[in-house]
Amino acid sequence: MQELTDNALMLKVKSGDLDKLGLLYERHKKRLFGFFYNMNFNPSLSEDLVQSVFVRLLKYRHTYSGEGSFLAWMFSTARNVRYDYHKKNGQKFTDLTQVEYKIEDNDTIEEQMNRKDNVALIQRAMMKLDHEKREVLVLSKFKEMKFSEIGNVLGCSEGAAKVRAHRALKDLKQIVHGMQIT
Amino acid sequence: MKKEDFELLALDYLRGTLLESEKEGFEKLLDDDNFKRQFAEFKEVWKIMDGIKVPEPSPEMDNTFFYVLGNEIEKQRKNHSPLKEYLNDLLRWLMKPQLAYGLLFLVLVGGYLWNTKDVPSSIGDGTVVDSETEQVREKLVLTLLEQNSANKRLEGVSEANKIGRVDDQVINALLRTLNMDPNVNVRLAAIESLTNYVENPKVRQGLIQSIPNQESPIIQVTLANLMLALEEKKSIEPFKQLLEKPELDTTVKKKIEKTIKSII
Repeated sequence: MQELTDNALMLKVKSGDLDKLGLLYERHKKRLFGFFYNMNFNPSLSEDLVQSVFVRLLKYRHTYSGEGSFLAWMFSTARNVRYDYHKKNGQKFTDLTQVEYKIEDNDTIEEQMNRKDNVALIQRAMMKLDHEKREVLVLSKFKEMKFSEIGNVLGCSEGAAKVRAHRALKDLKQIVHGMQIT
Repeated sequence: MKKEDFELLALDYLRGTLLESEKEGFEKLLDDDNFKRQFAEFKEVWKIMDGIKVPEPSPEMDNTFFYVLGNEIEKQRKNHSPLKEYLNDLLRWLMKPQLAYGLLFLVLVGGYLWNTKDVPSSIGDGTVVDSETEQVREKLVLTLLEQNSANKRLEGVSEANKIGRVDDQVINALLRTLNMDPNVNVRLAAIESLTNYVENPKVRQGLIQSIPNQESPIIQVTLANLMLALEEKKSIEPFKQLLEKPELDTTVKKKIEKTIKSII
């Protein structure tokens, strides 16, 4: 059985086969949710934004050309959705008291506590980061996205996307160090 | 130049997406103490970022999405198929009780005979079998069957008819619809959909078990016709239970008595 590519599915959606959007949703909902979650650390807001992205993909399906990667097109839409949301509602404070962190199987309690502290620290640091820098870092975390695609999302070249990501990580590192000192 | 290379390659190296040919060059850059220290710090922050756990999105997110998608599909059908609209109106007219009994019987028997032919159902319309599509359609069915609007639930049953091989979850949802749905048209549509899977023992059993619980005459007669077509002897006992109900319509009573005699 041959699996249809994202681009082929979106072209089917464009031609009126709307239930194919369900497949795209199933394939990408977690990735998209992860993107929004890492941008705002607010699960319910992230769910709303995922919905908005797919509603927009449906509404503007006629504009899909099939050129370039679907992933880049979807994340460009996600970026616009997020921008519109914040323009309308302002940047709201997110409560970071409930820190979710991954536990390794062989972690001791002390290591778990350290991990939790570190994750809490990095989340706070990320929220201090300029949102464009946070965005490029979050996108860089998706290994399946090439820097050329990240560049397409951000509207810059592949090289510029790499340099932006590098500088964002550098800034994040400095914020973390600053927070550790104080 | 080295600084530029470091800036361009460090992130790809951390992500593990650097080409083998570039990897060696980058590792050479790390011979420089300054780059080595910077990279170690990057690596530490990057690793902590990996520790951020992204929670699972809630099932409501799926429900809302499939509800919106279902609406859009319905809207599209209405916009693009005036003929279907006309046929729906005609069908509504034909669903009047006096005509419905005979027609439903023909449809059910015809449907059953068609499905017992030796043709794999999944390739019936010549489309490529796509299990991913089926899974999504199943989700759509389950979501639509839970909606308050009877039209939406009808839409759900209609989507179920498009699934080649349904799983237990969809079967259970259709049986639940047959037993619990307040709208008689939705219950009728559920029977029609379930007739596609009468070879499945669970479906047969579910249909038989629902007999004594049905209060609508049209559903009672439809089930009687179906059981007659299937020559299902296990349905005799439930029909007898139904006959004991004092509120049973006289015409239906006669029909059921006749059905029992024919099955025996």
